[in-house]
Amino acid sequence: MPRREMRPVPDLPTPGILRPRGGRIRRRGASAAVAVLVLAMVSAAGAQSPEQIARGKYIFGAAAGCGCHTVPKQALNAGGRKYDGPFGTVYASNITPDPTTGIGKWTDEQIITATRAGRRPNGERLIPVHPYTVFNGMAEQDLKDVVAYLRSVPPVNKAAPAKKITVPLFESVFLPAWLATFAPRELPPAAAPTSGVARGEYLSRAVGHCGECHTPRTMTMAVDSSRFLAGNQKGKGPEGSAVPNITPDRDTGIGNWSEEQITDYLETGNKPDGDVAGGLMMEVIQGTSAGYKDLTKADRQAIAKYLKSIPPVRNQIE
Amino acid sequence: MNGRLSLTASVIVTASLVVGIGAGCAGKSMSKTGSGDVVADRQRVMKLQGASWGDIQAKAKAGNIEAIAVNAETLALTAQQIPALFPEGSLTDKSKAKPEVWQKWSEFEAAAKNLQTQAEKLRDAARAKNEQATQDIVKDFGRTACGACHTPFRQPPPRS
Repeated sequence: MPRREMRPVPDLPTPGILRPRGGRIRRRGASAAVAVLVLAMVSAAGAQSPEQIARGKYIFGAAAGCGCHTVPKQALNAGGRKYDGPFGTVYASNITPDPTTGIGKWTDEQIITATRAGRRPNGERLIPVHPYTVFNGMAEQDLKDVVAYLRSVPPVNKAAPAKKITVPLFESVFLPAWLATFAPRELPPAAAPTSGVARGEYLSRAVGHCGECHTPRTMTMAVDSSRFLAGNQKGKGPEGSAVPNITPDRDTGIGNWSEEQITDYLETGNKPDGDVAGGLMMEVIQGTSAGYKDLTKADRQAIAKYLKSIPPVRNQIE
Repeated sequence: MNGRLSLTASVIVTASLVVGIGAGCAGKSMSKTGSGDVVADRQRVMKLQGASWGDIQAKAKAGNIEAIAVNAETLALTAQQIPALFPEGSLTDKSKAKPEVWQKWSEFEAAAKNLQTQAEKLRDAARAKNEQATQDIVKDFGRTACGACHTPFRQPPPRS
């Protein structure tokens, strides 16, 4: 059985003025106008083409196949997956192109707004189980490509169950306050970095949203960005699981792993001690129609380089 | 008591003792060859499986094909032991098993059987010195033979 049916298409070339400096994601600046022009020209040329859908599928895989929107072994992107939190219970949306229960009637703009700004077409806020403040760090073209891919999968007529919020005044008062104070915030680059640590940073922080599981959370589910990727104890991670510390700390993190071992792990789940990943991590490596396992070796190496470059944080996960 | 009654009584008493001791022994039969701590026993088996898989990867990388057979055989044999190492009621604090093991027992058994079958395939390919077949199996073995069980049935293990 072929492991990959589609080869990822190389990223758009990054003009010199837009190339990120110092490996950090840059804010939009004076070069934004030029960037918009370049992107408009390119996206008009590539709208809904097989190449764009293939690029979109690749980014979709790099985002773990949007696995939160698929119940394991059920229809792709049909939603319905349950998430319990201190606010109550929500169910992942149906993001298939179904016109009544999915996003079939939404415009590209509306899909992108929901993904990165957390607003539905009717103005309602998404609960940030869907980490829109993190996806805000994705480049516009990547988001457009993902939309093209989302529109290309089979529509499934299946309404997600309605959310059950148990905290009074949650959506009107607590949620905006939480978002302003506690949500991790990523800002988009004009164009996605194409190689090196900058690419690894982009894929880890924004697209792969590793911090959503791997960065420690407090009692209010706030993310402790000062300990980025330092893990979560049992009960604090997704679905109550413990999540490993993947900073380069030698005692409590993965400082003893080589770049090659990290690169291999993201494709196979094989760890240096012969153990094999399971649980939610293996789910995201496998992905849905695509997953981390479908990243190119160059992209996995970039992620490995980035993970070796972030501050080591001592945090023993039991 | 007269002779016949005491004979019947002693038969009944002896029979009860035999049944009682037998029932007590049945509980221990699962860990006859182990330490008596089934969670520790199975973690030991899993560590051995991890070491065997690590060896297989190293040998495959070095092109040392025939030598993979012994590790694959270890995996096949220890896979057969897995179901018996997860008796009802063995979900302790030290265990990384999820309740799903017992809620979906037939799936769990099937996953162990899958490991055994794939390991035997790998052993046979290695014994036949078939480099291509061996490397093809090794490529996906971690995910499909080990990960396939760890995904639904194991909580994240302690840091390695």
